[in-house]
Amino acid sequence: MSAHKMHVDSYERNWMIFSAVLLVVFATAVSVAAFGMGIQVPAPEQRVDPRTVATDPNSPWSNPGLREIAPGKYDAYILARAVPLWEYLPKELTVPAGSSVTFYVTSPDVQHGFKIQDTNANFMVLPGQVSKLTVKFDKAGTYNFICTEFCGAGHGIMYGAITVTP
Amino acid sequence: MNQYQVSAAEKKFIGSHILVAILALAVGSLFGPLQAFEHAGWDFYTYLKPWIKSYYQGLTVHGVLNALVWTTFFIMGFLTFNVIFGLKRPLKNPTLNKVGFWMMVVGVLAAAIPILANQATVLFTFYPPLKANWAFYVGLTLVVVGSWVEGWGLFMTYADWRKENKSERTPFVAFGSLVTILLWQICTLGVAVEILTMLLPWSLGLIEGVDPQLARTYFWFTGHPLVYFWLLPAYISWYAMLPKQAGNGKMFSDSLARLAFWIFLVLSTPLGFHHQYVDPGVPPAWKFIHSLLTFGVFFPSMMTAFTVIASLEHAGRKQGGKGIFGWIGKLKWSDPSVTSQLLAGILFFFGGIGGLANASYNVNLVLHNTAFIPGHFHLTVATAVTLSFIGISYWLVPYLTGRKLWQPAWARIQAWVWFVGMIIFSNSMHVLGLLGAPRRVPLGLAPYVPAEWNSRLFQVGLGGAILFVSGIMYLAVMYKTATNKERVESEVIVPIAEAMQDPAKSPVWLDRWAPWIYGTLALIVIVYGPQLVEQIANIALTSPGFRVW
Amino acid sequence: MANKDKEDEEFRPTGTLAILAIFVVTLIAIWATIYMILVGRGGTL
Ligand code: HEM
Ligand SMILES: [Cu+2]
Ligand SMILES: [Cu+2]
Repeated sequence: MSAHKMHVDSYERNWMIFSAVLLVVFATAVSVAAFGMGIQVPAPEQRVDPRTVATDPNSPWSNPGLREIAPGKYDAYILARAVPLWEYLPKELTVPAGSSVTFYVTSPDVQHGFKIQDTNANFMVLPGQVSKLTVKFDKAGTYNFICTEFCGAGHGIMYGAITVTP
Repeated sequence: MNQYQVSAAEKKFIGSHILVAILALAVGSLFGPLQAFEHAGWDFYTYLKPWIKSYYQGLTVHGVLNALVWTTFFIMGFLTFNVIFGLKRPLKNPTLNKVGFWMMVVGVLAAAIPILANQATVLFTFYPPLKANWAFYVGLTLVVVGSWVEGWGLFMTYADWRKENKSERTPFVAFGSLVTILLWQICTLGVAVEILTMLLPWSLGLIEGVDPQLARTYFWFTGHPLVYFWLLPAYISWYAMLPKQAGNGKMFSDSLARLAFWIFLVLSTPLGFHHQYVDPGVPPAWKFIHSLLTFGVFFPSMMTAFTVIASLEHAGRKQGGKGIFGWIGKLKWSDPSVTSQLLAGILFFFGGIGGLANASYNVNLVLHNTAFIPGHFHLTVATAVTLSFIGISYWLVPYLTGRKLWQPAWARIQAWVWFVGMIIFSNSMHVLGLLGAPRRVPLGLAPYVPAEWNSRLFQVGLGGAILFVSGIMYLAVMYKTATNKERVESEVIVPIAEAMQDPAKSPVWLDRWAPWIYGTLALIVIVYGPQLVEQIANIALTSPGFRVW
Repeated sequence: MANKDKEDEEFRPTGTLAILAIFVVTLIAIWATIYMILVGRGGTL
């Protein structure tokens, strides 16, 4: 194509090779965590109508809360809302240590966030979508869950708590 | 030395961009320290009530004016200069560029009115279904379209140059600027579609609802390349100007610099899902693919680090620097433009580290929307970019106005103060994020803040106070320079570093546009196409608007 | 224009490699710290 070849200094070539290897190592580490240890990001779960999701009697979010689906296994349906007040429904949950809880969170109004402190549960909550991740609570204690996306004037006071009993 | 003469009218035109940019930074940055104080529990908003209703109205002003207006205006001014000066020819059609500029100005004013009236407190990401007044969306559209029009003017100027210089290599500063503008033209299609097909008709009452997930997908199509639109102009200066300023150094590798710019063009758009790792409506497989491409776009920044530092080392050794690190002290730290950009570059190392962590797929679960994120981007856009632009302005403003830089010592100290303030501010924000503190919350008032965060929150306030001092110093220097009675003796020499290898000997494929453009578009189609089609096919315009601020 | 001076020919960016080495060590340390936080918190499926 061209008579001119690209000239690359040997130090710089080695640096580029090293950078590429480093990035491959990071990508591998991330893949091991994702596909080997099951530390995954949310996947599309289901779509809902934000206008009715909190009121339709057939919607689990019309009666948000904890459901035990098997011994030590729970589903938690949580509604994150800005109207009339910035809050999660329910605001408090209690499970025994060792429980595995799958969170299903949605919003009837604006975008919110959902981050449970000291766990890997941290995701966006969008009207029309359901966000789902699972957390296994091994240690007793109180885990706050807080809103991490701007959702209006009361964004900074929006939180709830999970109590893990021994 | 004789250098190409940019006409007085063009200097004025470029200068108008810089003026608007600095005015935006002046107002926008004012809120930064106030926000930082709020974290530390020092509340000033009570006193601002007559003008600014809330932390979030202020935060919207801060984000929009700093991240969108200051950057875009400075960049369009600087790139216009680079194209004219690099190609050594006037703008082909100055009227077209003027039209673009004034569209941008009108856009800023149109968006400012609802923001100041508290009718658009939606932050600079304006995620629906938060619903702003329609004028906000019209204003943003005008800013983007105005920047397109200016870009077209620059492309036309380049096309003419190319016709007359068929076999020459595009001079680097012009080359880098044109790639940056092309990148911008491609990537802004995302927000353009978001606003024109959803947000604007919705805010005008023509459609009932929007699809928040699709809106985010459109937004981040633009949102990530946006950061390269900010960064690449600083890279141009680091590659091709700073080595010269720092001690008459040469650009270590002209061809790798060009290759880096092409990789940025190709890779910076098709990876927007790395801002949506924790979105519910995007399949993990696509998120993962975008994360790999994000690792890919880290690579040209690693190349940049090498070439830029090596060019600086070359400068320092020419000035007599010995030993492994001895050359660093020999760089021209007495020049405020050099000091600002070197300090900006140093903090960019840490910005890069944080960015790589954010980008690492599931690692984002630890960091997403925590205080780590603003900690990170105050090292990148608010320092690597902003402090570099400040450094550029220290020679560019005297060059454009013919007035001497007022008190270079102040300018130099200003850069150091920014550096120190930012280290304190950003370090504490990063740590708070790792402890779980959310972003976009005035943490001094939040009910869930544990005592162990307090010392860090105090440091956020302290860093903000130091940054405030630096910001005031910068504005003082700029104001006094623009009104300085003392004029420069002869026109300021534009710092352009030569390349170590003659660019004419670099491969021709580094100066061909078509293959890179096709490659860029093809990659976008491959890694964005399927999800865009799916999300659009399943669009649900079910979210009505909310004003909850 | 850009002539290859003799001194440029002999220029080896050793200081650059040293700085980048420090950078890479810092990068790996910080990245790995955050990665270990992630891994320590366990699976999400
Ligand atoms: C004068 C120094 C500055 C200080 C003390 C400062 C401080 C802050 C603080 C405390 C926040 C809010 C964090 C939160 O509530 O989540 C913030 C947000 C932000 N800052 Fe700055 N900042 C400064 C300068 C800048 C500059 C120069 C830029 C860009 C060029 C910038 C861009 C941003 C952006 C984009 C946001 C995010 C707004 C949002 O979340 O919507 N800042 N800043
Ligand atoms: Cu919320
Ligand atoms: Cu919120």
